[in-house]
Amino acid sequence: MKLLISTGSWSMFIGRSHPLLVHLPIGILLIAFILTLLARREKWRHLQSALPTVLLAAALSAIFSCITGYLLSLDGGYEEKLLQTHKYLGIGVAVISTVLYGMERYKNRFRKWQVPAVLVMVLLLSAAGHYGGSLTHGDDYLTQAMPAGLRQLTGMNKTIANAAAYTNIGDARLYEDLVRPVLANRCYSCHNEQKLKGGLRLESVALIRKGGEHGPVLKDSMPEESELFKRLILPEENDHRMPPKGKPPVTPQELELLHWWIAQGAPTGKTVKELNKTPLMMAVLEGMQPPTPIDKQEFMPEDKVAAVSSSSIAALEAKGVKVLPVGAGSNYVSVDCINAAGFNDADMQLLLPLKDQLAWLSLAGTQVTDNALPVLAKCHHLIRLDLRNVNMKGKGMSALNACGELRYLNLAGTGVTDEGVLSLRKNKKLQQVYLYQASVQPVAVQQLKKELPKLLIDTGGYRLPQLASDTIVYHKISG
Amino acid sequence: MTKHARLIKEANDTTLRYITRRHFLMDCVAGLGAAAFGSFLASCGSSNSKTLVDASGNPMAPKAPLFPARAKSVIYLHMAGAPSQLELFDYKPALQKLHNQLCPQSLLEGKKFAFIRGVPKMLGPQAVFNQHGESRAWISDHLPHFTSMADEVSFLKAVQTDQFNHGPAQLLMHTGSARLGRPSIGSWVTYGLGSENSNLPGFVVLTSGGKTPDAGKSVWGSGFLPSVYQGVQCRTKGEPVLFLTDPEGMSRDLRKESINAINEINKQEYATFGDPETLARISQYELAYKMQISVPEVMNINKEPDYIHEMYGTEPGKESFANNCLLARKLVEKGVRFVQLYDWGWDTHGTDEGGSIDYGLRNKCREIDRPITALLQDLKQRGLLDETLVVWGGEFGRTPMQENRDGKDMPFLGRDHHVEAFTMWMAGAGIKRGCSYGETDEIGYSAVKGKVAINDIHATILQQLGFDHEKLTYQFQGRPFRLTDTGGKVITPILS
Repeated sequence: MKLLISTGSWSMFIGRSHPLLVHLPIGILLIAFILTLLARREKWRHLQSALPTVLLAAALSAIFSCITGYLLSLDGGYEEKLLQTHKYLGIGVAVISTVLYGMERYKNRFRKWQVPAVLVMVLLLSAAGHYGGSLTHGDDYLTQAMPAGLRQLTGMNKTIANAAAYTNIGDARLYEDLVRPVLANRCYSCHNEQKLKGGLRLESVALIRKGGEHGPVLKDSMPEESELFKRLILPEENDHRMPPKGKPPVTPQELELLHWWIAQGAPTGKTVKELNKTPLMMAVLEGMQPPTPIDKQEFMPEDKVAAVSSSSIAALEAKGVKVLPVGAGSNYVSVDCINAAGFNDADMQLLLPLKDQLAWLSLAGTQVTDNALPVLAKCHHLIRLDLRNVNMKGKGMSALNACGELRYLNLAGTGVTDEGVLSLRKNKKLQQVYLYQASVQPVAVQQLKKELPKLLIDTGGYRLPQLASDTIVYHKISG
Repeated sequence: MTKHARLIKEANDTTLRYITRRHFLMDCVAGLGAAAFGSFLASCGSSNSKTLVDASGNPMAPKAPLFPARAKSVIYLHMAGAPSQLELFDYKPALQKLHNQLCPQSLLEGKKFAFIRGVPKMLGPQAVFNQHGESRAWISDHLPHFTSMADEVSFLKAVQTDQFNHGPAQLLMHTGSARLGRPSIGSWVTYGLGSENSNLPGFVVLTSGGKTPDAGKSVWGSGFLPSVYQGVQCRTKGEPVLFLTDPEGMSRDLRKESINAINEINKQEYATFGDPETLARISQYELAYKMQISVPEVMNINKEPDYIHEMYGTEPGKESFANNCLLARKLVEKGVRFVQLYDWGWDTHGTDEGGSIDYGLRNKCREIDRPITALLQDLKQRGLLDETLVVWGGEFGRTPMQENRDGKDMPFLGRDHHVEAFTMWMAGAGIKRGCSYGETDEIGYSAVKGKVAINDIHATILQQLGFDHEKLTYQFQGRPFRLTDTGGKVITPILS
């Protein structure tokens, strides 16, 4: 709708044909390049006669492209540095195609310069075309789509960091983190060093305070009196409204943000939580709170480990043991014996090749005994260990102290005794221990709890009381 | 024609019958553009680099999730018919003050209800509420046992849906779409993770309350996913799985031989046509054979000790929610990935005693109160709650207004279907303990804070299982589909 309302002009209209017209000189000049090269060979000599016409057409279309390009640039909204590069390269293409045409007319004199000249022309043309593309599509248009390998090769392997510099909106600096990005997005393209529309630059607070050719744009603490804010809320049809027609307008949230910043006296270096907030502002700020990054995953050690060899996985899988990475792309593995009820102490040796990578292990319901503990002790990255319903007494359980990362230990339904459980006191990172139906006395549990106050020890054996409500069936009393 | 020639002709005819229009079109694609087909195949698998079928050809082989997961299994307790949040968890004293007054016009304008017509009266909470646990969660006296679980669960008080009829709402809740044809949550999960226990299905469905949900079996269907991923319904009364026992006189050895032979033929079929449904069939035969032994074993609750029966309130041989809860624990213990419980009978319109807020609801609450509490405690003492996600909820909520079907007074107190706000809860597997997220207005009509959409719930379930809900996709009809469709946001405030 906005485009329909905006009043156009001839210059704008002609300017906007630039993206279409530029393709003419590109095509024609490439043809000229091919013809020039071919015509040097005897067999293709007759092509020579087409060259003057082709080059004339190229020169004319290039010149016309330059003119429309200039008109389009008046429209504004392009990144200044890119625009300048593109402009001079474009003019360069127009100049060299005119020169080429001239050389063709006097070809006897310039014969040996012809090939170098067309080569320069093609280079100029490619560069101008590339920067033109960057102007319309953004300068990361091409690199974004690069496959990872090519990116590495061309040294463009920097990640596009776009994350907010703050995790909590309260810690965001009002000007630096919130207001400046708005100005950069909406205003910088016209109010910068090169363009200087209205003689106004907005790239720093000092420049904002300096104002433009019509005077200051900022009145401290008075947003309604400041041009910087006033212009934003003018009706759409008003010629003084900013950003001007055809440019994306400032969003209501951004408007509130600018209003608040000016009302606070246009401070710099102040964080959001240091400033007074109206309820409306609090609501706006709440909406700007960056989403909490999801890193609520299960803990994994940070040490880098090599991948498990496939032969050691195959040996376990032959026993019916399930070996999987804890997550795609991780070298840490989860081993589960749910389909291998016959897994026993001798089979434990099969786990040794995995001792560095083994993070989660379930031996629930298997035939292993206390003799498995020495092997487990070597698995120093073990985080979760499930020994449910295993015939263990917990003799030599102190071996597990070597598993410094152990967080979850399930001993439910084992014969583990007080002595075994108490030896866990040295596993400082342990968070949960399950002792349901284990042969552990309450005293030992209390003692362990005292040593590791944060440890969750569940001895189970829950009962639910019988309540009257368990049996009452509700019926309407008839009559 | 000799016998030999006849046999060859028959074999050829059979082969030709298999080449359907679909196969023809598929071949065309391959012929027309190998490149296009290549990228199609690549996008077919889930993001975790493993494709649908692993090297062994078993579609149910366990697979690694995208990242280390908090949950290994899910138990989803669905109260079909939609329980009233206003009598259970969402305490609204202000609604009591408006009891029996006419509903203000502002709440009715532009709204559509399933049965309410004209101007209904407001209906105050028909339960006594108290705060429980350290989290001071409001739970009514309808669930006296469950009050002890206040500090174990995370309540979602402002869940919203956009379907006010049971069928579509249940479909939306379990497949992410109100229309038929999408895979259910359990199917997506087994598609992504496979099944841990090779002798049991990865996705088991248990129903109670006398009826299956209104939406029918589609709520545990596999939609466009290969049918191997659909839920297997097990029964607590009679044979656990229908049509699983051998006919009289057939020995187990003979059964084994015949299944081996059939699978051999199917493998050749797969080699010829590459139809994933053939693989599904092979693994279904194999699984069915193993299930003949394993399912009756796991479905038998007679061997559980007395105190466990007492805790759950189970009665072996009966079809009950309590039995299903105990089974859910047993199945999860055996490595079943997704256990889906449906309990029918929560639709309390006030049309009859069973379907009323004043009688029926209390009776339904009694049926679940003990089992649910026992399930959470039992999982906890076995160390399983830490790796099992428990989800409870209905397909929508109920109105703060009293139902006035056809503009008339009802014989019992009732509430109509309500889509704008209702309560669900989750527990275990990395869900915060003793947390309440979301708020409704002072009469419980609309959600005002912490709104949760159905696909947010799906996103959260997948998240806890180690998936990015945006990356677990399946290519169908020319585009990748996902459980959360185009929406879904993980409910991070309830994650620990």
